[in-house]
Amino acid sequence: MNESHFEKPFWNPYLAGIALGLVLLSSFLIMGRGLGASGAANRIGVAVVSAIAPAHVNANPVMASLKEDGAHPLDDWLVFEVLGLFLGGAVAALTAGRMKLGILKGPRISSEFRLVFALTGGILMGIAARLARGCTSGQALSGGALLSLGSWAFMFSVFAGGYALARLMKKEWL
Amino acid sequence: MIFPFDSLSAHHREFGLIVAVIIGFAFGFVLERAGFGRSPKLAAQFYLYDMTVFKVMFGAIVTACLGIVVFSQLGLVELRTLSNWATSETFLWPMIVGGFLLGIGFIIAGYCPGTSAVAAASGNLDGLFTFIGVIIGSFIYSEAFPLFSRFHEASNLGHVYLYDLLHLPAPAVAAAVALMAILCFLGAEKVEQYFSEKLKRSGNTEFENNILPERHSRLARQSTFATFGALALIACFTLFLTIRNGSSRSSALPLSQADLGERVLKEPWRLRIIDLREREACLETRVPGSECVPLAELTTLALSEDTSGRDLILVGGIDLNEVPAAAATYPGRVFILEKGFEGWKSFALTAPNHPGPSASPDEVGSYRIRAALYSSLTGAKQAPPPPPPAATGGTTKKKGGGCSG
Repeated sequence: MNESHFEKPFWNPYLAGIALGLVLLSSFLIMGRGLGASGAANRIGVAVVSAIAPAHVNANPVMASLKEDGAHPLDDWLVFEVLGLFLGGAVAALTAGRMKLGILKGPRISSEFRLVFALTGGILMGIAARLARGCTSGQALSGGALLSLGSWAFMFSVFAGGYALARLMKKEWL
Repeated sequence: MIFPFDSLSAHHREFGLIVAVIIGFAFGFVLERAGFGRSPKLAAQFYLYDMTVFKVMFGAIVTACLGIVVFSQLGLVELRTLSNWATSETFLWPMIVGGFLLGIGFIIAGYCPGTSAVAAASGNLDGLFTFIGVIIGSFIYSEAFPLFSRFHEASNLGHVYLYDLLHLPAPAVAAAVALMAILCFLGAEKVEQYFSEKLKRSGNTEFENNILPERHSRLARQSTFATFGALALIACFTLFLTIRNGSSRSSALPLSQADLGERVLKEPWRLRIIDLREREACLETRVPGSECVPLAELTTLALSEDTSGRDLILVGGIDLNEVPAAAATYPGRVFILEKGFEGWKSFALTAPNHPGPSASPDEVGSYRIRAALYSSLTGAKQAPPPPPPAATGGTTKKKGGGCSG
């Protein structure tokens, strides 16, 4: 990357880990909750469908449960937390000189394919996170820190899944 | 308790949502600065030449875990209450399968859901596409839920934690996790080095300029390990403190036979009595109202979730030396019956001797209770008549006498 000398380097991973742990710890102590991401994505989806076809959401008990008692599906802690996540990510990228419109990928794959893969992987993760009651943030990180059995099983599984398919996906990244 | 559970109730709602944005902001900021807004760096985890994902995640887990355990040992938070609140129950197979599927999605997309949001926020379109994908995937799941619903609810183990599984105190497990993390980090350094050398030799020049992680300072690594080690030691130390003070939740109160006898008669609905002896022995004869649950099966009761507010009374064969881990987390008071069931046999299943005419009112009261218990439990029509001296207890129908513990 030519302009890389304008970018601030990434934090040392160990110190970043401690920093992330402290954020998680304060979330536990102040809110009694862990961090999350996929739950908010789910709510955003329900909110979008609800705006387009409210009857459809009401007919689906799983989606309707998010707007019980007339609550708005976006009226939830996680949604606000993910709003903060976007802001924090943007500010961090901006102040580190990394804010740049682009598509990140390995050298051997076209941008179009990269975006198709990104969308496909996202869809799989959306399904997976619903099944597992959380993603790497809510389940592995937050539940893992509280030593929940299911979270640890989930975490090992995530790595197993990633390594299982890594060889096949080599062209996308290497 | 320093965290308000009602932080999202109407009263504190606005404050709670503001805090949510602030915490999310810090979360996103740290993720971006760790390099998690860039898919090649995240994907590198699965090609082993850059283990940042592993280091950051595991480091964060250890930090938060040790932190929360130390806080709970100091009595500032109640670990299990917080955990039950903040985590989902364990649905073992859905979580294993979901995890595997998420790992597959991760390597295809190059992001997990949280990091895709950070990537999108820093202008990476692949991140945006991934995040949109997650939304679509969640929607598909809701649409197709009837297909998944049975599996979705399968293998629900309730709230189970590693310390339940291992029957160890939480600080010990947290300390073990921290030590394991340090060992894994040392291993990860070696693995990283080996695979990046290998990639360099393969002549892929893109890597050297672009993707290979810069070698970080030894100092940061060593001080991190030292911090973890120190926190782990503190966690273990607080453990010894609480054991000595006897203030830990796992400590139980002793309950005398007379007290149990009185409570069984007067307020059985306030008691949850669990007989931990072998099932056959328990089924044959037991303290009235007790559940027969051998020690090994105690975890199946999910005692930590009993919110009935009853007192838990544990009955062993003889004295129980310690509270079983599965009962230590019972939300209410926990009692251990002194001298166990053997004591009960000689107390309640053996005909009592009248204390005599010169007895104090207390002694008479205690005699009445024993007599009432004896008659109701053994089928004797009534207690032996008052004064006659030395009525031997040989007339009990079941299980009379025996060894009095």
